[in-house]
Amino acid sequence: MQVTLLLRLALFSGAAALLAVWPLLDVSAGGRAERPAPEAPPTWWQPDSNRVFAARADYTDSTGTVSVLHVGGDVQTRGHPFFSALGPNGRACVTCHQPADGMSVSVSTIKSRWRETRGSDPLFAAIDGSNCPSLPQEQAASHSLLLDRGLFRIARPWPPRTPEGAAVTPQFSIEVVHDPTGCNLDPRWGLHSAHPRVSVFRRPRPVGNLEYATRYGYIFEPKNGLPLPIDPRTGLRYSGNLLADQRARTLEEQALDALTSHLQAQASLSAPEMQKLVGFESQIYVAQSADRVGGSLSAAGAQGGPEALASGKPAELQGPGHPSWTEFDAWQHDAASTDPGQRAFRASVSRGIALFRNRTFLITDSAGLNSMNFGNPTRDSCAFCHNMARTGMDVAPGQVDLGTTNEPYADPAPELPLFKLTCASSYPPHPFLGRVIYTHDPGFALTTGRCVDIGKITIQDMRGLAARAPYFSNGSARTLRDIIEYYDRRYSIGLTEQEKQDLTNLLSVL
Amino acid sequence: MNARRAGALWILAGTFASSAWGATTEKVFVTCPVYRDTNAGRKSGCWLATDEAVGIRYDISLSRTKPQRGHEVLVEARLPSTSSASAASSAQSPCGGLTLEPVVVSVLDSLCPSFMLPAESYPGRRFRLDPRLVLGTADVPETLPPGPYPPRTWHIEFAYQSDFLQYQYSEVILDEIGRYVRASHPRRVEVTGYAVTQAREVSGHRLAEQASLAQARADMVALALERLGASEAIVKVSARENPEPLSADGELLEPSRRRVDIHLSY
Repeated sequence: MQVTLLLRLALFSGAAALLAVWPLLDVSAGGRAERPAPEAPPTWWQPDSNRVFAARADYTDSTGTVSVLHVGGDVQTRGHPFFSALGPNGRACVTCHQPADGMSVSVSTIKSRWRETRGSDPLFAAIDGSNCPSLPQEQAASHSLLLDRGLFRIARPWPPRTPEGAAVTPQFSIEVVHDPTGCNLDPRWGLHSAHPRVSVFRRPRPVGNLEYATRYGYIFEPKNGLPLPIDPRTGLRYSGNLLADQRARTLEEQALDALTSHLQAQASLSAPEMQKLVGFESQIYVAQSADRVGGSLSAAGAQGGPEALASGKPAELQGPGHPSWTEFDAWQHDAASTDPGQRAFRASVSRGIALFRNRTFLITDSAGLNSMNFGNPTRDSCAFCHNMARTGMDVAPGQVDLGTTNEPYADPAPELPLFKLTCASSYPPHPFLGRVIYTHDPGFALTTGRCVDIGKITIQDMRGLAARAPYFSNGSARTLRDIIEYYDRRYSIGLTEQEKQDLTNLLSVL
Repeated sequence: MNARRAGALWILAGTFASSAWGATTEKVFVTCPVYRDTNAGRKSGCWLATDEAVGIRYDISLSRTKPQRGHEVLVEARLPSTSSASAASSAQSPCGGLTLEPVVVSVLDSLCPSFMLPAESYPGRRFRLDPRLVLGTADVPETLPPGPYPPRTWHIEFAYQSDFLQYQYSEVILDEIGRYVRASHPRRVEVTGYAVTQAREVSGHRLAEQASLAQARADMVALALERLGASEAIVKVSARENPEPLSADGELLEPSRRRVDIHLSY
């Protein structure tokens, strides 16, 4: 009886929400404005709150509903390493990987949290939730990169080190051109401190769909021609698709890195704890499941939502036999919907998919792509790099320089540190940027020490995007539309207004 | 013919390069490549290269390594026979240049103006992936070659001044060697890298590889083989300079000197 009443209320509120936004819709274009997720139902997940992590949960986001699926069923979180504050700063993994934000954390949530706690939440821990630990932590200005762009400080050792801790001889020197955060020149935390660190600022990647990030489709890494290296513990190869700079090769390495840096824990996890943590993370799937305009993303033959991800084959290469985003192919001929707005939206998504697959443009000066034997330029489509079925990641390890962090293509970002990297004459210069490179984040090069890797960032999972703005590793795209605008500008694609809207709508349903 | 004598002959061959190694006519020149933006789908653009010495514009798109706009390229190719050249004139070619095949392009460090031409009604070529270059996915159980396993040698070629294992081309060879190693358990895997350090003049450029490149190439292949199952204990790596070319049919001779030989013995 009570369940029925709740269900009716939920249906009613859903219908009411749809009616409320109806006047905002541009039905003819199949579009609608993105907007911040509505304020507040108490979705914030506190560490050690001992709640049950439901096998499936739905959360309202900027364009509809994001769903989080745990294929292992409900999880009792009491004492669970993902949900427990394991270090002294009060943070748990869940602090920055919130279910309501598609297992990342959006800037709107961060702002809300600042207001609600006056900055006292462990989310704002000085170590990386502020621009620099040496700044006065009670001031919002000291957390400006987190509050404005959703960026956490990532302190990488300099010179770089291998995952085993061995020093890597870098092919380039690094200077701080300017740093409004002060951290790279800070006597305790900076590049010239007793423990030299390069502080870059990045968005947290979602803890979801990780089977897709950790599996590999082919044993060769085409960007360097070598077979993928083998994990001696398991005999399996490293996928190369974890984290923006691939500093961790496995979920275990990622967990240890996060434990000691973000959680500031001194002790490691026991083997059973690690197994429990990685097992949990590996069973989470995240995707949009409903759109405010388009309706259910598994209606009319579509296969949106996390269930199709959970049952899909990871690391499968898209191609003529299995093109990108077949999940929504049924919407090409949607005759089921009687709602003109819904039909228009679904048609727009279908056009967006066609553009994603087939609209070719000249890809230029992008290390990781043009530096292979494809040539510079090479003509191809979005699906060339976003080639993994169901997630849009790169089946090959996806470290690519799109230009989001490197001059001259990066959007102006005076609030971020700017570094000058000079490639030594004894090594090959960067193939497109020469020997002197200005960058806000050297990316993969902070792991490998190689010039050619400067500014390369691992291609991200494209599912559940609407729940976790802003986008790109440095938060430079505030909205889904901004992503499209960046690509259009970067590669001179020449998209029309309608095409931009179609691609934005595609991103919103993934 | 020993390597030293062969190298000397090659220098004599010079820019016009009627090959010293055989009867076929090989073309070698350095130039600034031009990209023609034809649009016949993905990877359909054309690469053109004019040999300034004779004023002929060639279509070098069929090289497995494509040029980088703004960098000079070394072009090594077999010239079409006179009759086929006239039949397939530049005007009739899909890209607007005399098609070279086989052709090997090496991207040089030296910079040059970055040129791009519009399609100008040239259709370009639709991209077709050679199925021989496609490896199976990692989740497919592998098929090991059946015995017997006599000693075998493979070759992997490289672009000029490069130790980069080229996408698809190298993978297919390495994959085959890896399966052979796992099936046959050789006593020794000899990996011999070569660099062509003899200088030659091409289009006014003095071309000679660094001796260290031989070791770098061999190290890269050895690392690949170890990741494919060859125990480090049985892999023997060595480096040499200025080998004789391979003489297999269809091979370009000079590019075949920039290679690594992999020999399995029992």
